[in-house]
Amino acid sequence: MSTEATNAPKIKLVTSDNAEMEVDRQVAERSILIKNLLEDLGGDNDEAIPIPNVNEAVMKKVLEWCEHHRNDPPASQDDDSDSRKKSTDIDEWDQKFMQVDQEMLFEIILAANYLDIKALLDVGCKTVANMIKGKSPDEIRKTFNIQNDFTPEEEEQIRRENEWAEDR
Amino acid sequence: MATRSNFKRVLPQAQPTVLAPLRTTQMVDESKAILPAELINTILDYLPIADMFTFARTSKRMQEMVYDDTRWIQRLKSMDCWNDVEAKQRFEEAMRRKLEAQRAEEAQRTGVPLQGGGAGLGIGGIEQPRGSMTLFDADEDIQRRSLEQKGRGRSSTLDKGFNDMTLTPTFTAAPERSPMIDPQAALKVISGVRSIRGRARQEYGKVYGALAPYYFDLARSRSHTDPVLFRTYRDPEQQAQMLAQLKIFAKSDFAQGWGQREEKLDTMTGMFENAVLREFETGCEEKDYDGRMKRFASVLFHLNGGAACLDSFIHNHPMMLDKEKLGSPRDCLPGLNSSQLTLEPSREFFHGLAIAMNNETAIIDRVFPPTFDVLQPFLERVAEDIISEYITSLFDEAHDVSTDVYLKAVAGVFDQASQLAISLKPTKGSKADFQEEAVRIISRCFEQHIDLYLQEELDFFKRKSVEQVEAWEKRLTEEEQTTETFYMSNVNRKAAKQDFLSSFKKVVMMPVNVLPTIGGSGSRNSVVAAPAVNGSGGLDTPTRSDTPSGDGTRSLGLQAPTTELAAKAAIMNSRLEGIRTLFSIEVALDLTHKAKSSLERAARFVRLGGQSGEEAKEQCEQIFIFLVQILGNRHMKLGFDKAVGHLADYKPREVADHSKEGVAPLVAFLELVNVGDLIQQMVEVFYLQELVAANLTDRDDFLSLAAKEKKKFEQMLDERVAAGLNKGIDVLMDEVEYLCGTLQQPSDFNPPVGPNGIAQLADIGPSETAKRVVDMVSSHTSMLVGSTDKNVLDVFNQEVGVRLFTAICKHLKRQRVSVDGAIVLISDMNAYNAYIVSLRNKPLMQYFAALRELSQIYLIAPKEAKEIATIIADTDRYHGIFRAEEVYEYAERRADWYQIKSAVEKQMYGVGCWVM
Repeated sequence: MSTEATNAPKIKLVTSDNAEMEVDRQVAERSILIKNLLEDLGGDNDEAIPIPNVNEAVMKKVLEWCEHHRNDPPASQDDDSDSRKKSTDIDEWDQKFMQVDQEMLFEIILAANYLDIKALLDVGCKTVANMIKGKSPDEIRKTFNIQNDFTPEEEEQIRRENEWAEDR
Repeated sequence: MATRSNFKRVLPQAQPTVLAPLRTTQMVDESKAILPAELINTILDYLPIADMFTFARTSKRMQEMVYDDTRWIQRLKSMDCWNDVEAKQRFEEAMRRKLEAQRAEEAQRTGVPLQGGGAGLGIGGIEQPRGSMTLFDADEDIQRRSLEQKGRGRSSTLDKGFNDMTLTPTFTAAPERSPMIDPQAALKVISGVRSIRGRARQEYGKVYGALAPYYFDLARSRSHTDPVLFRTYRDPEQQAQMLAQLKIFAKSDFAQGWGQREEKLDTMTGMFENAVLREFETGCEEKDYDGRMKRFASVLFHLNGGAACLDSFIHNHPMMLDKEKLGSPRDCLPGLNSSQLTLEPSREFFHGLAIAMNNETAIIDRVFPPTFDVLQPFLERVAEDIISEYITSLFDEAHDVSTDVYLKAVAGVFDQASQLAISLKPTKGSKADFQEEAVRIISRCFEQHIDLYLQEELDFFKRKSVEQVEAWEKRLTEEEQTTETFYMSNVNRKAAKQDFLSSFKKVVMMPVNVLPTIGGSGSRNSVVAAPAVNGSGGLDTPTRSDTPSGDGTRSLGLQAPTTELAAKAAIMNSRLEGIRTLFSIEVALDLTHKAKSSLERAARFVRLGGQSGEEAKEQCEQIFIFLVQILGNRHMKLGFDKAVGHLADYKPREVADHSKEGVAPLVAFLELVNVGDLIQQMVEVFYLQELVAANLTDRDDFLSLAAKEKKKFEQMLDERVAAGLNKGIDVLMDEVEYLCGTLQQPSDFNPPVGPNGIAQLADIGPSETAKRVVDMVSSHTSMLVGSTDKNVLDVFNQEVGVRLFTAICKHLKRQRVSVDGAIVLISDMNAYNAYIVSLRNKPLMQYFAALRELSQIYLIAPKEAKEIATIIADTDRYHGIFRAEEVYEYAERRADWYQIKSAVEKQMYGVGCWVM
């Protein structure tokens, strides 16, 4: 948090498709990646920061989320099981925010992962989890684009093995 | 974290340059962006268990991810069901058995070479299980599997899936179904979880299978009658067990909505708890200990540790509700404004409390499960609500009445309370250190009073002792000081003193008594002390060694030595009549008694330990220091100074009456030295007994204030004694000279020649003067024997001897000695010599032996001038003490000196001299 940042609260980002975006530094710093980058760069941050893995559409979406969550307390660095356990359900705004097509949802998750925005990543993963809840293996395979390498017998075997977990 | 970011960057970094143009085509091919495995892993964490297995069915890779042991270990850990140590032990155990089995196999199939290395094992692993399944138990299979996994990292996915598929059914099939079939088994499912590496999923499965149906059903249900749980289990105890298990199980629920589910569970549990608690309370009211109370206590204990019923039990306990029944603190102070304190009511209070507590212990044992420690919280509450309240109001009232009463009340009640703590019996549920805990809890009630108490104790002691010394001094000045009667007892001083000291020791060593009633002006307000002590012994206690519980023995033990001591003190006092004006042994005794009682009261609190204990210890030292100070500086120093003053003022010639043997002030002083020594020994005994033996101070700690003060006291005493002795010798010699000057008749050594020409000798033997001198000196020196340090005594004796020698020499030079009188003189000298020999002082003996030799020159007949000259010149005779010139001077004292002078001188200096 260098003090020179206060004079220039805005920074520029360049997405993979070469779109330049201007954004509040505070908002951008929700991303730990950008935050660390800015800290490493020091004072001269006039240059646009290239974000080579995220295209404009996704970046916009991500920044929208960041804008809404700009005042959240910074994420704790430890991601042990306990903090995961304590993660709460998705709040209403986030639920609405995540009502996008599946491709976009995955892109957001990937971007959140790349940009290191833990809270957004969590929300994304939870949304996906919600999405596949109660679906059949075939539907899941479709969603995640998974190749089935089981014989039907093998698949049935797994089901039988874990019968205890089935909803009754 | 590092690996994670690396991964992230590596994967997408290639995308923008290489993959971006390709993306459109790729999307047609694969249709969707692929999430990296790591992200899928995260997503899995948020999935309900059922969906996780649907996921597992999608592909082998996914199955591997879902089946991953760490995922399930984490779940078990979240329920506190995983024990790393146990897992490790199991693993090692399995490893060992595996090795043994291997060896057995090897022995069986001799000739078949066993392939070493991971690959060989791997091949065997695939082929063997089906055949030899029954040979291996579960542990070994797992172990084998994990070994295999380690052995071949490359093909682990395939093998693992295969293995799991082939092996697991045998093991999971049984627990899978059983919980649903047998609700009884479900009751214990959580405690039955084993920590086995590689089998965490199966173990979790058992728990999940048993509890999840109830859990989700509960979360869905609307009212408390709904849940299947309450319908399956009719017995409240089982219901409680299940609820407790569900509470734990809820911790492993990571899927969304867990918050609501847990809340619901808590609400249900709360409702259940309240219902059971109501039952418990009705049981309480009906005193149905073995029935409802016991039953519902155990229900609540199983549910959540039973905190609720503990609270209710303690809160609604009859003891809490009518504590007035046990007694009021007011009872201990009967009569308005009286300084009376009876500890009987407080004893009854504690007695009642002890009985009630022990009854309670029995009830607790009956009602509560044996693993549940109810007594300690209960005791804490009792201490807080009943004991604290009682003692606070008692102490406040006592403080208002008088300090004396307050001090006694605090110490006495503390003792009784400690007795109570000791008399408490632990319950089955109590921890091993219950006794210490009980003492600590009860002591804590006193902590707030301790500061004030210790301060008061010290102040009280200071005030009282100063008062007493002052009163004594005042009385003294009022009485006329002239009538000093001197009493020289013929009793063996040393024996008398030892006698007295042993009595004193007895009193000091007496066991801790609550409130010593040792006579003395200060502690007249009689306190019913002894019965109070006996009483506390009655709380059916496992008594401490120093509290005899028998009635009366205590008070007798208390009385006997006290009165004995009092009698001895009286005798001693009468013996010491002579120094009444200087010092009072009674005052000193009183002071030590006061100190002792204060100390004992305060010392009790040292047991508290911690800061209060330290403070109590310090205060005890302070009390001792003050005792020594007041005894030394105020009381004895004054007496010594006065005695020394008297000695200095003594002028033998002005004293009319010399008929008594002994120099009055010196006798007084020497008595005083004796008493001083006595007091010092008393202080020493006191120090050892009260401070060292009671562990209040460390004897070897040279920094200890008490030890320092004691040293100072001894030093002061020694200084005074030395100063007094110095003066005393002067006085003694004055007296000797006075006696010699007044008593010695000229005729003693020079008897007149009778009519028949023969000198008249009254009798052969020392003259009256010599006898008197010897008697007087010896009586004084013998007084010191045993009362001062041996070295001091030696120095004193030597000084006395040397001074006596000079005095005699001086005296001799004033006499005329005839040949007839020489016999008397020799007798005199023998008498002196005999006395000096009795002192056993070598250098002194030489002086007096010389004197004896010297006296012989008077015996030689006048005509033997030559002999006289020889003897005068023979310095060896006198051990070098007299030179020839000196002896010559003595020879001049011969009555017939002028007749023989020329003859002697002629012999001594030869003819030549004579011619000159």
